[in-house]
Amino acid sequence: MAYKAQYYPGATSVAANRRKHMSGDLEKLREISDEDLTACLGHRAAGSDYPSTHPPLAEMGEPACSVREAVEATPGAKAGDRVRYVQFADSMYNAPATPYFRSYHAAINYRGVDPGTLSGRQVVEARERDMEEVAKEQLETEMTCPGLSGLRGCTVHGHSCRLQEDGVMFDMLDRRRLVNGTIIQDKDQVGVPIDRKVDLGKPMSEAEAAKRTTFYRVDNVAFKDDKEVVEWVHRVWELRTRYGFQPKN
Amino acid sequence: MREIIPNKDGRIQVEIFPSRLLNAETAEILLTELNKVEGISRAMIQGPRLPRKVYAGPGTGEDVRHTARKVVQIADTAIELSISVGRIRLDIADADVKEEIRAVCEKILPFPFEYRTGHFFHSKATVSDYAKHGPNANPSMLGMMDPKANVEDQVCILGAQKSD
Repeated sequence: MAYKAQYYPGATSVAANRRKHMSGDLEKLREISDEDLTACLGHRAAGSDYPSTHPPLAEMGEPACSVREAVEATPGAKAGDRVRYVQFADSMYNAPATPYFRSYHAAINYRGVDPGTLSGRQVVEARERDMEEVAKEQLETEMTCPGLSGLRGCTVHGHSCRLQEDGVMFDMLDRRRLVNGTIIQDKDQVGVPIDRKVDLGKPMSEAEAAKRTTFYRVDNVAFKDDKEVVEWVHRVWELRTRYGFQPKN
Repeated sequence: MREIIPNKDGRIQVEIFPSRLLNAETAEILLTELNKVEGISRAMIQGPRLPRKVYAGPGTGEDVRHTARKVVQIADTAIELSISVGRIRLDIADADVKEEIRAVCEKILPFPFEYRTGHFFHSKATVSDYAKHGPNANPSMLGMMDPKANVEDQVCILGAQKSD
């Protein structure tokens, strides 16, 4: 029988969503063109070639190495792309993803990525075209609600603020806003204006966000209601405490 | 119900805490209506800042032009909102004014809000206040503003011309 990865315990909708994010079994909700994504990321001009930091690996004449032979380089590494980042902030008011689950998604489903998890934001560093692949999947699928999540390279403030009157997460740099029912972004992730208005799609309704979120909240699905998760969290805490207990005698 | 404990001078302090950050239009309507209520001596609005320029990262120095940063008209005074209003604290005369303010909030705010009594403005000068304003600071200005800021930038005195 083939092994099937289990990813995350629990019987609630939040646990099921966490499993979806980790496994990469995600529903695609919107379409964002490559040029729009490049403009929003702001690392290079939309439509331009990827700048490189070294010649393509095929031209470099790599030394004989069993690891290099066993592990195929990612497309970005093969082409010699620069390392660039994408950073997201997700509102605590039932945004679909949490920083940890964005990291799990990137680390489990992609090679050559370096996810960084912080309390209110999550960054993925990788070769430029590899990073764009991760960013595109996260933006186009149920991992992101354009109203409750945002591409934020700096000034990420907003994830723990109350929502605005229109239900959109506060953004100090006003990179994107609700216009006629859809979220329009006209600045890149560090707040520099771009030459286009990128349509990021319709924000989720409150009910849909509550259904798709990976946040445990007492006003939606409470953490303590997920008995299996609580049991496993207790088990992990107990085992790591025992592991850390090393009397020097 | 908890008893309302007034300050030494017999006044009460209240805080309005909406469940959403107010946009400039709602904030203008609410502040205009509150301005019509007799018995409010001091009001402080607080919320996340709306900077004029990007102040960190590779975009430092770029203009933000935040759509929520607007000039609002309250009575005869124009105020540029440099924050997204998330909290309003008021120093009021008595419990009747408190109920009047609650009615105003219920009429204007389209979402729930918390409304509580407490001690929100400090009554003694802190070390920062002393360093900024010296020993003869106006006691009614205490707790009204960031001690690092200029009084002219952050404090508006409504109806000052009328009383002069």
